[in-house]
Amino acid sequence: MSGVFVVLEDRDGRMGRTSWEAVAAAVALARQTGTMANAIVLGAQTGQLASEASKRVSGKIVRVEHPLLSRYTADGFSLALEQFIRAESPGYLVFPHTYQVRDYVPALAARFARVLIGDVIGIEDGPVFTRQLMQGRLSGSYRPAGAGPCFVSVQSGAFRAEATESSSAEISTFGPTIEPSQIRAKPGEPFRESAQTVDLGSAQMIVAVGRGIKEAENLPMIQDLASALGAEIAASRPICDNGWLPIERQVGSSGQTVAPKLYLAVGISGAIQHLVGMKGSQCIVAINKDPEAPIFEVADYGIVGDLFEVVPALTEAVKSTRH
Amino acid sequence: MRGNPNRVLWLGSVMSLISLTLAEPQHFSPWEKLLLVALLIASGSLFWRRFGAVLLKILHSKKDSDFHLAPLGRRTWNFFWEVLCQAKVIRERPLPGLAHAFVFWGFCAFALVTLNHIAAGFGVGFLDPHGQIGQFYFYLAAAFAVACAVGILGLFIRRFLVRPKWLGKRVSYESGFIAFLIFALMATYLASFFVSDAAPAARGLWWMHTLALLVFLPIIPHTKHLHLILSPATIFLSRGGFSRIPPLAGDEDFGLVTGKDLTQLVSLQAYSCVECGRCSEHCPATNTGKLLNPKEIILGVRGYLNEFGPASDAPTLGKYNSQEAVFQCTTCGSCEYQCPVGIEHLPILVGLRRGAVNTGTWEDDHGSKLFLALERGSNALGMSATERDKFIQKQQFPIFDGTQEYCLWLGCMGAYDPKGREIVADFARIMSWLGTSFGVLRKEKCTGDPARRLGNDLIFQQLAEANLETLAQNKVTKIVSICPHCVRTIQEDWKEFGQPPEVEHHSEFLARHAARLPRQDHAANHDRIVYHDPCYLGRYRNVYEEPRTVAALAGEVIEAPRSHQRSFCCGAGGGLVFLGEETGDRVSHTRAKELVATGASTIGTACPFCNSMFRDALATTGEATPQLMDIAQLTARALPQDGKSNGSANR
Amino acid sequence: MKIIVAVKQVPERDAPVRIASSRQWIEESDLQFAMNESDAYALEEALQLKEKVGGEVVVISAGPERVATTIREALAKGADRAIHVECDDIGKRDALGVARLLAEAIRPENPDLVLTGLQSDDLGYGQTGVVMAELLSLPHASLILHVEKTDVGISVKRELEEGWFQKIELPTPAVLMIQSGGTRLRYATLMGIKRAKTKELRKVNAADLGIESAPVAVLENISLPHKQRSTQILQGTAKEAAATLVEKLKFEVRVI
Repeated sequence: MSGVFVVLEDRDGRMGRTSWEAVAAAVALARQTGTMANAIVLGAQTGQLASEASKRVSGKIVRVEHPLLSRYTADGFSLALEQFIRAESPGYLVFPHTYQVRDYVPALAARFARVLIGDVIGIEDGPVFTRQLMQGRLSGSYRPAGAGPCFVSVQSGAFRAEATESSSAEISTFGPTIEPSQIRAKPGEPFRESAQTVDLGSAQMIVAVGRGIKEAENLPMIQDLASALGAEIAASRPICDNGWLPIERQVGSSGQTVAPKLYLAVGISGAIQHLVGMKGSQCIVAINKDPEAPIFEVADYGIVGDLFEVVPALTEAVKSTRH
Repeated sequence: MRGNPNRVLWLGSVMSLISLTLAEPQHFSPWEKLLLVALLIASGSLFWRRFGAVLLKILHSKKDSDFHLAPLGRRTWNFFWEVLCQAKVIRERPLPGLAHAFVFWGFCAFALVTLNHIAAGFGVGFLDPHGQIGQFYFYLAAAFAVACAVGILGLFIRRFLVRPKWLGKRVSYESGFIAFLIFALMATYLASFFVSDAAPAARGLWWMHTLALLVFLPIIPHTKHLHLILSPATIFLSRGGFSRIPPLAGDEDFGLVTGKDLTQLVSLQAYSCVECGRCSEHCPATNTGKLLNPKEIILGVRGYLNEFGPASDAPTLGKYNSQEAVFQCTTCGSCEYQCPVGIEHLPILVGLRRGAVNTGTWEDDHGSKLFLALERGSNALGMSATERDKFIQKQQFPIFDGTQEYCLWLGCMGAYDPKGREIVADFARIMSWLGTSFGVLRKEKCTGDPARRLGNDLIFQQLAEANLETLAQNKVTKIVSICPHCVRTIQEDWKEFGQPPEVEHHSEFLARHAARLPRQDHAANHDRIVYHDPCYLGRYRNVYEEPRTVAALAGEVIEAPRSHQRSFCCGAGGGLVFLGEETGDRVSHTRAKELVATGASTIGTACPFCNSMFRDALATTGEATPQLMDIAQLTARALPQDGKSNGSANR
Repeated sequence: MKIIVAVKQVPERDAPVRIASSRQWIEESDLQFAMNESDAYALEEALQLKEKVGGEVVVISAGPERVATTIREALAKGADRAIHVECDDIGKRDALGVARLLAEAIRPENPDLVLTGLQSDDLGYGQTGVVMAELLSLPHASLILHVEKTDVGISVKRELEEGWFQKIELPTPAVLMIQSGGTRLRYATLMGIKRAKTKELRKVNAADLGIESAPVAVLENISLPHKQRSTQILQGTAKEAAATLVEKLKFEVRVI
């Protein structure tokens, strides 16, 4: 059992940032075992993906190809990789911790009487893998035991993707045997929900506005910031009460509860009725001129200042960083 | 209309001047007597057919498991005061109330007269119009008859010409007819003084009076005039207390789900409703355009009983009452407080809610969220208990260890809401300054007030029992709290599951120490403070003066148009602050506008929920709004600042 | 449909955690426990499915004595009967170990569907359901928000990254991992609790199932993470603070 293989994941033919982060983790792991990090790409037509991978990975690139792998299915990917593992006996398989990986790798690992050590945020000597417990309030150190390959998936953002120089990575192909009857699920086309109803619940970023905005005429400034970020607009209760924004955009105890990646609270003081609707957000940023405003107690980042100055400056800064 | 005794004297003197006596026709013929018997039987049986049916419905209703006849003293006093003296009737609507009182007293006075009248038809009249007792009694009755006639005339004019909106839009012909009958009874009686015994007119008047009587009798149980018979019983047999929610009886009791759950008291009260509309007149929901109308709730129960009866499996929330209306109630208590016939609306409303919630038929997003938050955590807001711990640490509150005098109960608002925290911090500062020892509990769960008022008995029981255990373990004997909801729930509602310690509201504590608290310079600060009576402190607990005493230290206390027992709800109660958007106008905005219109510079509150509701409401009324401060903050601002507290910033 | 719902009892969400002296788990003595959140959604989905197509909902949970309260809560919310796999060392087993236990207990039931939550609030492996499917040789799908019965099996709505969704057709029997938030949870009612008292709760001892328990990934040590949540106030003029914020959003929060 030897060798570190990172299984890359593409979306619509392009590698995501998470895959390169997994490569970085695999490289760190490979260093511990004195080997190089290799990569696997899966699909029906993997030529393009393989050559993209060869620019970032110093070890081997294995193209696991089969027509039945054109679309992701748990059965297809598990079968393909299972056969590869039995043939090549790798020591470590590293994955990005994506929805897809969570869907099939545990089943794959179980075929080898192993578990997936998932959502890893650090790799120490051993190797010992660190992951979060109790919703991030604790860290746990895991050491693999027993025989068999070790399956690891890494948390998005835990490892920084390095840009490596291009190297002449050896590219080989592996063709698994898969029968159509072995693929039990029929996945449909991905779709988005209709854009007519405001669904703050699934927004990734939200810019919320409160009483500090003073007048409806000042809202366009907030809308500019939201567009620049690609965020949805929400509001605290008084704004919706006044009819400046529709009631569907109200966040709070009598409105919606949201937990986006980014919640930017502009001119919101942080009364409890509002807090209960957004305290689950991953990152909270507050802009308020009152340094004692309760919103700062739950914010990760805060700017104490006049929102009429800060918001336009922020919009500018966001726009220029995107170009 | 005033000065009844004078009138008797005046009339008496007039009558004795012209020697008027009541005419009593003599010698009724056997045919007449037969006719009288026939009419009596007809009237009586028509009366009994309906009244008996109603009585049966009431008696066949489920027995109230928590009913006790004792204390008889209270019941007797209520009967005397509310029925005989018509106190509530007059106090809440003075002029019409007095008119009604005269009609009522007239009826009472006429009891013997009527008996004698019928007896005379059989030749066995026992009051002699020429004897001293008879004369005196008849003159007395005559005086009442005049008052009654004037009263009923006034009420007729009010109902049909003035048309106050609380009597409803529909013109009630039945009320008109009954008014006519009553007037006829009085008129025929009085007219009988002006004719002689032998005159045919006397006989004619006698028969008209009799007819009026015998037509009136069967009408009584078919209309709201059933209250003539029922309401004295209703008032005597009432549950007592205020918003007294009965405990569930046994494993199959989930509240008022179907007719089978309507108890005798509920049925009795439903049939006693006079449709006066006093409850609706002061209801915050009805006043802001919502579906809920307390009068319609009671009449809905009555309609249900009329159609389905007390043994029915038909849902109580269906044809006659709707779930939507029932969940718009803030439990402010104005309805129950006003009712002149002893109807206790709140146990009925909460009973209907219980029926929906305990069986899971109430499916409301916000309600479910609230219950799940209470199921999983310790507070109604869904906040992490560590936030409360952080607050305690930051304020350096001492932890209650059995040695301090008071346990300071933070409550959900005091522990988690930024404004509630300021109020608690200021109150704690005052207690320290006064040298009163106190501590806070390490762990508190919500008292369960929202669960209790929304009818979720499962969660309420869990919270009450867990809290009672914590208090017992920590050997707490006295609690003081800034929240009237906590105070009420701990003192009254927890009794169902154990022995709560003494508990008081911070206004009561502060008022007791008022002599030691600093008097602020009113001339200098020009603070005109309009005090808003919280429902759960005012109507529920009868505490009106203490908070005013405290506020008066800080500034000039002025009154809102609706204050004391008439205080208009802020809209948060009954669990409503945790539910979604209201229909119609906002209750909180309506009250806030009223408070702002007094021209006060400060709105004084004594409840963190009122404070929170007005805070939101004032945020939408533009720039020049009054300050909003709890009485603790008003007091604390005069204390020397020290490094520990938040201060009483006005935000 | 016969639907089995596997639930886990976990420490209450906001309970303060103290690391045990062995450093291999947390102090359990002061803790309150509750049903794992995504398992509650799995139960809700199962109950709604039963209300639509009829059948039976069986709830199963593995753990020590205290797990019985969570099982009764599931019965109170509407499950028809329950299986308690008594296991005092459940905390020492890894996802493979737990999945083996549950799979063995479930196998003789021959269910049409097995639902379980996506991941637990405490250990958060998010694998037990997938491994169960593997051990039972059943098709599976994860991150499911909604399940519907079809003539040939089931149709499920799956959540993808970044606001995308997908419909998947599966034959039954199948195993589904349910994501939180797809529907409104029902609250426990008094009526439910009273009815639950008469519902069947069958106990199965873990030892009787004959499953080995040595973990293949050993949790050696628990510690407090280095980063704690604290508020960073960004200084400077509006322009400076805005620029700093954008930096943070780009590199630390990684949203732009």
